Amino acid sequence: MERSFKAEVDQLRLAEGQTFTGEGILAVTKALLQSGVAYVGGYQGAPVSHLMDVLADAHEVLDELGVHFEAAGNEAGAAAMLGASINYPLRGAVTWKSVVGTNVASDALSNLASVGVTGGALIIIGEDYGEGASIIQERSHSFAMKSQMWLLDPRPNLPSIVNMVGKGFELSEASNTPVMLELRIRACHVHGSFVCRDNLKPKFSKLNRIAKPIFDVERIPMPPSNYAQEKHKVEVRMPAALKFIREQKLNEFFTGELHDIGIILQGGLYNTLIRALQQFGLADAFGASKIPLYVLNVTYPLLPDEVAHFCSGKRAVLVVEEGQPAHLEEAINSILRRADINDPHVIGKDILPLAGEYTGEVVLGGVGRFLQLMLPDGVDQAGVAQVLDGITQAKQRAAELLGERVPLRPPGFCIGCPERPVFSALKLVDKEVGGIHISSDIGCHTFSTLPPFNLGNTVLGFGLSLAASSGVSASMGQRVVTVMGDGGFWHNGLSSGVTNAIFRNDDRVLIIMENGYTSATGTQNIPSTPGLTAQQGVSISIEGTLRGMGVKWLERVDNYAVGNVAEVLRRAMTTPETGLKVIIADGECMLERQRRLRPVNAARLADGGRVVRTRFGVDEDVCTGDRSCIRLSGCPSLTLKDNPDPLRTEPVTTVNNGCVGCGLCGEVAQAAALCPSFYRTEVIQNPGWTDRFMQGLRQWTIGRLSGDGRGQA
Amino acid sequence: MSAAMEPAALARPFTILVAALGGEGGGVLADWIIDAALHEGFPVQSTSIPGVSQRTGATTYYLELYPQRPATPMVKQPVMALLPSPGAIDLMAASELVEAGRAMQNAFVTADRTTLVASSHRIFATSEKVVPSDGRYASEKIISAAPQLARRAILFDMARLAQEAGTVINAVLFGAMSGSGALPLSREACEAAIRGAGKGAEASLRGFALGFSHASGELTMVAPPVAKPTIPTAPPVERVMKDFPAALHDLLNEAVRRLTEYQDVAYADQYLDRVHPLVAVEREIGGAESDFPLAREAARLMVLWMAYEDVIRVAELKTRASRFRRLRAEAGAKPGQPLVVVDYLKPGAEELADILPESLAAHLRAWVARRRLHGRATDFGLRLRSTSISGFLALRLLVLFKPWRRQAARFKMEQLAIERWLGAIKRFGLASLDRELVSEIIQCAALLRGYGDTQRRGRKAFEEVFETLLENESAAIKGLDKLTRAIRAIRSAALANPDAPPPALAVSGSGGKPVIWLKAG
Repeated sequence: MERSFKAEVDQLRLAEGQTFTGEGILAVTKALLQSGVAYVGGYQGAPVSHLMDVLADAHEVLDELGVHFEAAGNEAGAAAMLGASINYPLRGAVTWKSVVGTNVASDALSNLASVGVTGGALIIIGEDYGEGASIIQERSHSFAMKSQMWLLDPRPNLPSIVNMVGKGFELSEASNTPVMLELRIRACHVHGSFVCRDNLKPKFSKLNRIAKPIFDVERIPMPPSNYAQEKHKVEVRMPAALKFIREQKLNEFFTGELHDIGIILQGGLYNTLIRALQQFGLADAFGASKIPLYVLNVTYPLLPDEVAHFCSGKRAVLVVEEGQPAHLEEAINSILRRADINDPHVIGKDILPLAGEYTGEVVLGGVGRFLQLMLPDGVDQAGVAQVLDGITQAKQRAAELLGERVPLRPPGFCIGCPERPVFSALKLVDKEVGGIHISSDIGCHTFSTLPPFNLGNTVLGFGLSLAASSGVSASMGQRVVTVMGDGGFWHNGLSSGVTNAIFRNDDRVLIIMENGYTSATGTQNIPSTPGLTAQQGVSISIEGTLRGMGVKWLERVDNYAVGNVAEVLRRAMTTPETGLKVIIADGECMLERQRRLRPVNAARLADGGRVVRTRFGVDEDVCTGDRSCIRLSGCPSLTLKDNPDPLRTEPVTTVNNGCVGCGLCGEVAQAAALCPSFYRTEVIQNPGWTDRFMQGLRQWTIGRLSGDGRGQA
Repeated sequence: MSAAMEPAALARPFTILVAALGGEGGGVLADWIIDAALHEGFPVQSTSIPGVSQRTGATTYYLELYPQRPATPMVKQPVMALLPSPGAIDLMAASELVEAGRAMQNAFVTADRTTLVASSHRIFATSEKVVPSDGRYASEKIISAAPQLARRAILFDMARLAQEAGTVINAVLFGAMSGSGALPLSREACEAAIRGAGKGAEASLRGFALGFSHASGELTMVAPPVAKPTIPTAPPVERVMKDFPAALHDLLNEAVRRLTEYQDVAYADQYLDRVHPLVAVEREIGGAESDFPLAREAARLMVLWMAYEDVIRVAELKTRASRFRRLRAEAGAKPGQPLVVVDYLKPGAEELADILPESLAAHLRAWVARRRLHGRATDFGLRLRSTSISGFLALRLLVLFKPWRRQAARFKMEQLAIERWLGAIKRFGLASLDRELVSEIIQCAALLRGYGDTQRRGRKAFEEVFETLLENESAAIKGLDKLTRAIRAIRSAALANPDAPPPALAVSGSGGKPVIWLKAG
């Protein structure tokens, strides 16, 4: 795993009255234990990976409480775990990155929502939307609506979030319905503190097992129960939920002196809104606002009476709702119309953007326009204009002084990443054959679609790349190539892609990136992770699986041997062999590798053992600066520096100190016959006597014969 | 404690935005600030967007703290934002120069309140690096804009200081933030936070101290050399001093030194013979008053051209003692630690043909063409241990071929091309007296560089310029402007990035936003 969570695990033991300090998502983890959760599952993905990572390290704490934790095979598997709460009073929580995880999970979620739950079922949604998001931009809100699960969107401070975890279980049980708790990226990673309660042992668990299973045909989503379930959902469970939300005051009202206007907002946007109000002088540092606020910590379902109460008597109400479609704004309009409250203008996505993250700037602009439009008494309009213009002017001034936009810096493959050389080879072969259709997947390897590789024609979902190439394969002039990570292989690729491709004897090429972990989410273990302990699981070989399934053409390549990878690719593209051709690109995630090797080498070095330190370099007087090497590799440590030769004006390519010695640059220079500039250096630390003897001999020879006087090698 | 003792509430929290690249320890820096604030008893909050393991992408960390110690346990908690707002940043820290520029573009640096603390060094983005020649963003723009946009700007090379201190840049940046005086946390609290973090604390504290003293003005940063290194003083050559204008002496002395080493004295003499008429041409077209810029540029390009990189030259450069010294320093080899150097070479039949006499070379080239047609290799990968005795001797053996270079096919080809180029400069220079056109012709020499495909592409463009434009009567008749533009078009096409970026990533001017993982700019 990417990092150790020992300190965080210790915080999971905190008792009543003690203060937890740390990340939002870890606060949720502690809150789960305080709520008497019996089981926790999920599938890793930013921004909720840490919830799972810390539990994976917390065996002892979990064992003491009897809590079962499981990293599921995918989000569907995680969601299906909640089936435990259908018949039994077991509180359970699952987590994943949304909206993608919710997509995968939705089959199980629909069934779960339809039949309902006995024990509280909480789904922690890491809403990966806006800045830094790495997935399609959709909101999870729609899933809550279509399955009628309740959606919590608490104010993004640790006490509110933790409180909402507890209330979420209660709400779930009070209404027999699964509840979603939505946390945006920054709320997951916000650092704050809250006062703890003791952890609660679940009533039934590993420590106190259920004696007798419960059978109830009404809990089976099949005729005739399914019709009754739907009616039950809207006629019984929904009203029960509304009652709980109203009585427990889960939504919050904040009064303000400008009572003829108001703002309705998602709880998660509260802090951003307060900052905007502060900038206009309408709120103080502690959030006391001059404009009345109605903060929706529950964004689905809405309480019609609360909405009506807040809006009546107001000239205008601003709805601050992130994402589209504008479910809240539409619902509020509908509630007011039904209640025959027609005075307030409901303003929302007509002045705020329809799509995209509601950043500080967006909310500031929206509130500013609202104030300029409604002209409330007691608001300094000149001041509002000054704040808005100030930002515009600052941007204009910067644009004038800086000219062109500064270069973008999208994320890319790490230094030494074993996936990069595969794409170097793929780029070479792609050029030779005049273009290959490449079906890409989700994972670190999706970076291949960015410069300098620009490889990968479609991405359809995690583990779906092989399935996504089957339709196009029939109509392409060349064999299509599919790239899939080992994470995607186990998540979905094996069942929906590989199995069917073998079954149909499809003539396609599949490259599996076997780096050993789900690296993009923080190098969590997968079934094929090498060297698993018994506690971590039983290792399954991808190659063995594929051979067992009947794949005949299978080659394993060492990723860093670019020329060889290219050669195997050419063979796969041209072999007369029909059926699925699989190339397993074998290279352990470099981050993990370095993490493993660094302490080993440091220890050996300290013991006086012989350790060779390797790095690569570019001869500055041989490089002529055409950058072919960079375009074929894109390694971050392959960069530019001013030309030390005063007669040359262009920078030279150079390898900086970040180099981990993977050798890709040298391989590429050879495989593509680029130039003779690349070299590898090996420094022998703690040399033995043979090393020293040979060194002396070599130095003597080289010193005599080198081009420009006595030297030392 | 009475209410009167409570300090007056502040209007807002203090806001800090840290821009960094993945892997630079920005998260650790945020943790230090949190610990330091907690040490002072101030409410504090931080957020970040780690997302995928974007080790190389731009990322930010946002912190807010309320720099007031509550006299009694605080009933009301300050509300702190999770997202930075433009125009509302008190302290903007950037671990790299372009990231500081990005913050400026997004109005996170404003004159009314922002102190900007940034490292002036550059880490180049992929889009800058993939461009042949030089695609680097002009750093000077950011450096000169910073003091105009910020309330106060403190920029210096923190990467160098981090290296000096043997630590990561985050420590130096933290020190600089503290030393700027803008951070409302005491130095003691900051240092205690670093110490509390344990691992590598000593090195971090050294880095912190360096950053602090440079930002606070105790130490002045020696500005890194921005200008090009000057040409080293080569031994003066009598003929250069006598026959050439003083403005060219440094360049020509160095050129003579270089070509004598490359081939022999006669070759260097031939070079001066070639430069001489260029000086005359420039006198005619009015360059004498401005120190002969065209002749100088032509002379500069010609010495690089005449010392073209064939296998003999590469072998010579690879076996220099100075190279082995440079590599030892670069690899950080301590005295007594043996260094092994392995060169990644791919000698091919074409490189061999380059150093053979013409008749043999022609046969070899024909063989290469036939094999290429059948998709067969004409080269082989060689990993040469240049520090082993056999490897080193193999390279030195190649250098022994130097005297025969004059008979080599490539040598003759290059001399012909040079004469062709010189002829065009003289002809068009004297006939048109058009400096722009002459400059354009001179720059054609830069097309012929590199190895393999790059070399072939450049030579094709060079041929195209000469055959279709410079040695084609009908092209010259169409007017000098047109001719100049036509040459420039061929030249830029040949030097452009051969893998044009996909349209979605091309940064548009005023049009739509590029579709990209991260927010533009």
